[in-house]
Amino acid sequence: MLPQRLIQLSLHTLKTVQNNTIQLNQQTIQQAYTETHTIQLNPKPITLKPNRTQTTIAAVDTSNMKIGETSTGIIAAVRGAAIWKQNKHYHYTRLGPFIFHITEENKRQLYQTLATAYLNTNDTVHAYPLNLTQMPNRIANLLEKWLQTTLTKTLTNSLILFDGSLTAGTPDTPMPLMKEILNTARKRNNTVLAFSKMTNLRANGYLITDALPPHKPPYMLETSGFKPKPPTVLLGDVYVAKLTNGNYAFRLDIDKEIPHEQKIEAAQKLLGNDHIQQSYPETLRLAHILCTFTANEVIAMQHFTTRRYNLKIINRPDMHRLLFGPYGKGDMNA
Amino acid sequence: MKLYKKEGNILQILSFPNETAEKGDYLLVEDADAGKALIAQVIDMQFASIPGVLEELLRSLPDGGELIQGEDFDPLEIAPHITYIQDASLLICKIRATVEGENLTPSSSWLPSRSQSTIKKLPIPTLLKLAKVDGKLPIILGSTKDASPLTIDASSLDGRLNIITGKKETGKSHLSKLLMLNLIGYGATVVVFDLNGEYHSLGMTSDGKRNSYYDKIHVLTPAQNFKVALKQLNLQVLLGILIHALHLPGTSAREFRRIWQSLKERDMLTLHELGEAIRNWHCNQHVRDALFSRYHALVNSGFFTDETGGTMLLEEYLFKAKEQGGAIIINLRNTSTIDRQIVVEYVLGKLVELLTSWKLKAVFLFAEEAHLYLRETYWDDIVTRMRHFGIFTTFITNQPDTIREHIYRQADNIFLFNFTNEHDLEVVSRAARVDAETVKSIARDLPPHYCLTLGKVVKDFPMVAKVKALDVKTMGETRLFFKNAD
Repeated sequence: MLPQRLIQLSLHTLKTVQNNTIQLNQQTIQQAYTETHTIQLNPKPITLKPNRTQTTIAAVDTSNMKIGETSTGIIAAVRGAAIWKQNKHYHYTRLGPFIFHITEENKRQLYQTLATAYLNTNDTVHAYPLNLTQMPNRIANLLEKWLQTTLTKTLTNSLILFDGSLTAGTPDTPMPLMKEILNTARKRNNTVLAFSKMTNLRANGYLITDALPPHKPPYMLETSGFKPKPPTVLLGDVYVAKLTNGNYAFRLDIDKEIPHEQKIEAAQKLLGNDHIQQSYPETLRLAHILCTFTANEVIAMQHFTTRRYNLKIINRPDMHRLLFGPYGKGDMNA
Repeated sequence: MKLYKKEGNILQILSFPNETAEKGDYLLVEDADAGKALIAQVIDMQFASIPGVLEELLRSLPDGGELIQGEDFDPLEIAPHITYIQDASLLICKIRATVEGENLTPSSSWLPSRSQSTIKKLPIPTLLKLAKVDGKLPIILGSTKDASPLTIDASSLDGRLNIITGKKETGKSHLSKLLMLNLIGYGATVVVFDLNGEYHSLGMTSDGKRNSYYDKIHVLTPAQNFKVALKQLNLQVLLGILIHALHLPGTSAREFRRIWQSLKERDMLTLHELGEAIRNWHCNQHVRDALFSRYHALVNSGFFTDETGGTMLLEEYLFKAKEQGGAIIINLRNTSTIDRQIVVEYVLGKLVELLTSWKLKAVFLFAEEAHLYLRETYWDDIVTRMRHFGIFTTFITNQPDTIREHIYRQADNIFLFNFTNEHDLEVVSRAARVDAETVKSIARDLPPHYCLTLGKVVKDFPMVAKVKALDVKTMGETRLFFKNAD
């Protein structure tokens, strides 16, 4: 099964860019998310013991990259990876890269078509503004949701790892869809665990992943009192997971609807079936590694677009460089 | 291919997987606007430094070294572009010349356009034509990688000092035989110091039949068909042997000169009379002993005789070769170190004598592993003084450090076979006619029988060629204990 709509739209948008000029760009688009929340952290750790009952561990991640600018918009690439560990071996399915030419003119139509296909709704298109620079991220999120849905529908008795949290009600994660994903997972006896690499949740003024009791890992800490601002809702219970020695701990969201014991069991099965390094599961790390674009791939995609669509590379002056000379280091370090 | 960088006379050229270039190949970097082109030779190949390649390789090996299994759905078929970029290589090229119209100058002082220059492979025949590597006396050395013949002119060996070197069993002797046969084919006189007795069958085809060189190959084996009568011996030549080969001190040499003159005046120059004269000569006992020990060395070599008949073969063959071309093979196999030095000293002395008196025009001397029979001071003699007399030497060795550095510096042509040893490459790279990088980089990767030709014969455009086969009976095979064990 392939995300056909993504393929069709990728090819369709690229057709509009033929014989245009392109300004190459290798900078990643970073999401700005700064809102912080204060919650309570239960200092009594839940000690975890690895449960080696054979369980499939699966994970999903996507990435996106702006690979250039045209006179009317941007050219961006999106890729997703699903990875699962079965019988001690890792397997993967990687989708993409899908390359899009996104313009002010086609962005709404593009997103609407994809949202209808993968979010089962196009309400979000009208509810939230569509920023051109955020479009690659938005499309990647759609692909991620599609991959998550596919995994929950395909696997049984497995642990499914998401990158991020189990919050819903955001532009790319409508609540009905997220609920549907978690419901499907539950029906097939799968448990969804979401690992956040970054968190803004604080307890007593400290980030929840920093203020940890001196207890021997692996363990989890329960949290309470997290009430996201509507329309965002939380579909999982938030924990802090410190799965190995060292200074690493992560926010871990586990499906709210499953019993407490099953949540603990899921974490213990993860410990018993996956390789955990720096408190982070290898399956999820691999999903991230496999979908991330390397510089070599970015050059290859630029090569592809310029050759296939006869784009002429132009070098627009870098205003930072132009104005500030060696002190102007571009957006990344501004 | 794209021009990436120029540093000094080194060009870095980006090459993509569909563009095949190898070490030794020549490239033409043409700048149409400037109306000029650079001729550069690939001396090394590296992977282009593509950002992200390490990450690419690492992510394919995450599971304890085991390849991760999976499927890629790549609807736009980007993967070939990734490998295309990943496999890009960087050609390190040495600028050899600039072409402007029909003119070739050894200059690299201008900078071709990075964006507009076109880069293509320069076929060897085109380069040979441009460099005017031609002449009336062609010698086909072999074929280049693009299957075109590499032809040099025999006259570019004339008056030159040549070195053939490479590790064992790479084809040095084969090339020296090829050069030698071609030279005698053009009527040249060639003298070979044949250390291992591998040249004496060059007049035969590989199946044992006589070939066109049969009558031109003359083998002289010391103490067998090559002997010298004292009466026909020049005193200077004999003193050369005594002093240089047998290390006779100066005082004793003066006494020997007197003894010799005394015998000559009485027409009594025989081995027996010489021995008697030394015995009865009024001189210091130490001098007598010194003279006696050298006398016995001369007698024991078997190279000297009292018989005058049949002792003039060397001169006879040299004159014959002067008329129609030919090679005199001095077979030094089974000859002791001292005897070898005596014979070589005699032959060189004789050659100088004949050349000085213009009885001979010039001689091409092929010396295999010369350090085994050539005295220290002769190296300088051969490359400087004897060159003016008309002895044009080709040294053949698998131990390049046995040839002194200044000889490499004066060498006009070097035929270099494979060397893997850093030290050997370091020694050869001191040659003045080529840069060290070229020698080290190309010679290390030469397959057997491939030769890197450097110097005047190729107008200073180093070229790699597979040395052509010869239909002659080769005698250079090593004797093996287990040869028939199968």
